[in-house]
Amino acid sequence: MSVSQISVFIESEPGHLVRVLDSFVEAGVNVRGYSASDTGDYGIVRFIVDNPDAALAVLRDQNAACAKSEVLVLRLEDTPGELARVMGIIADCHINVTYSYSLISTYIVLSVNDVAAAERMLESEPVELLGQDDLAHLVA
Amino acid sequence: MVNSTAEEIFDPSVKGAALKAAAAGNFDVLPMFDRAMETSSRERIRAIQLEKLIAQVAYTYENVAWYRDKMNEMGVRPEDIKTLEDVRKLPFTDKNALRETFPYGLFAQPLDKIVEMHSSSGTTGKPIVVGYTKHDMAVWSDCIARLASMAGVVPGDRVQMAFGYGMFTGGFGLHYGCMKLGCTMIPAGSGNTERHIQMIEDYGTTVIIATPTYALHICEVGEKMGYDWAKSTLRVGLFGGEPCPPALKAEIESRMHIVCTDNYGLTEVMGPGVSGECLAERDMQHIAEDHFLWEIVDPATGEPVPEGEMGELVLTPLDKEGIPVLRYRTHDLTRVVTEKCSCGRTHARMQKVRSRCDDMLIIRGTNVFPSQVEDVLAGIEGVTPHYLIVVDNETGLDRMTVNVELKPEAFSDSFEVMDNFRQMVAEKLKGTLLVGVKVKLVEPGGIERSVGKTKHVRDLRK
Repeated sequence: MSVSQISVFIESEPGHLVRVLDSFVEAGVNVRGYSASDTGDYGIVRFIVDNPDAALAVLRDQNAACAKSEVLVLRLEDTPGELARVMGIIADCHINVTYSYSLISTYIVLSVNDVAAAERMLESEPVELLGQDDLAHLVA
Repeated sequence: MVNSTAEEIFDPSVKGAALKAAAAGNFDVLPMFDRAMETSSRERIRAIQLEKLIAQVAYTYENVAWYRDKMNEMGVRPEDIKTLEDVRKLPFTDKNALRETFPYGLFAQPLDKIVEMHSSSGTTGKPIVVGYTKHDMAVWSDCIARLASMAGVVPGDRVQMAFGYGMFTGGFGLHYGCMKLGCTMIPAGSGNTERHIQMIEDYGTTVIIATPTYALHICEVGEKMGYDWAKSTLRVGLFGGEPCPPALKAEIESRMHIVCTDNYGLTEVMGPGVSGECLAERDMQHIAEDHFLWEIVDPATGEPVPEGEMGELVLTPLDKEGIPVLRYRTHDLTRVVTEKCSCGRTHARMQKVRSRCDDMLIIRGTNVFPSQVEDVLAGIEGVTPHYLIVVDNETGLDRMTVNVELKPEAFSDSFEVMDNFRQMVAEKLKGTLLVGVKVKLVEPGGIERSVGKTKHVRDLRK
């Protein structure tokens, strides 16, 4: 049930992120969520898209420094305390979250060390995991 | 590895025999033009140098008013030169001296003793002109014969010239030198590539003299014409006229099935042939030390640097009659080692010149050369050879940032991995440059590629 995340190395300079986004538009890749973090000089921008293979192909065409990795996507109810509840479950399962960000609406991405193990642990928990197919039909 | 025999080295049907022999350390089968001189003891070389230096300084003082005035101004007399180190008492010469005195101000002999003139246009301002006596031409030919021999050229080789002749020192310099060695010259000159290939075929040419880029062009045109280089009589390429990057040389060697070497020289002190590449250590070139005294100085201060360290090459020709030049500042950066070479030669070796003093940066008092950055990056997987050095002193202190281009495959989604990578590059740079630098990783293709001389440095210091 994991989802492919596309990460791109981007310099912290005006126009560099938009170049990537424009190429997604051109390739018909739909961004469902992203996170941009920086170190001052460069950043790693992470994308959740409807078609990761197409996104990766268009980035490789531009000789961009990019990578595909597996992450978990969970759907949360838009109610007070829901994020605390879900993160509580994650903590109880002793899953370390490397980083996390939210997608459109109440979907959040979690990067963890062992995706498969985390999936197995979360299957029996009251959280909703999403797969790649679900992302194509997400409604905000 | 099977040793190549002397016969095989010069048999054009045995490809790569000379390189194979060199790789096996079997230098006895390779030629040496002046074995006695080229394998002299260091003591004997220094004794020859000292004797010649004393005579040369006296000759220069006596015959060139420009030097006499300079030396008088500095309060130094020819008899003050008693050791090789005393050369440091003498004035430096730079290209301007030759421009200011154009055309004949530095000539030490009347024109009727000058048998040939050459000139260099230079990129700016006035040209410079140099004159050679009969003796100068003999010395020059001797130097060329040595370097041709280092590449495996022997008497009887058929040498095709693909340099232009004319005022440029390369054409005639190599021509006379190969003749002195006992070769047959084929003075084709530059241009008309198809004709060059036809001549190689018709005359059984064994050696080609060309710029490396023109040699590659000849190679490609030949391939298109269906000429089989593997079956060609061609055995050696003597290159010059422009820098020859190792990758280009290796490509030509493998596609044309020849051995290629290049040499160092400059019109102001003679022309090509100051130093030449043997087959032992291809990044180094033997200086003809019985004809040239070398010094390596700090380009900023003119003071000598410790032996083996990088600095500016300063040359004093030791037996030049036409234009005796003292301590010529080449503005070329190199380092010189004096250990005996595995090829058997004892003459000092200078590293191939890849950068000029004009490129040197002084960062918090330390000299930094862009070529050092280049060397470090070449040894790191995950970065491209492209880089940009940015220097500023916004905080009052010199700060050097090296922008390094990341290869796509070196990217990781983890900041930790990326930062470790960045720090590893910075540590390696610091280890070589001896000055702390900041490394900035940039996207693949993020460093501007410029046509011609790539600008590697942006100095923003105020």
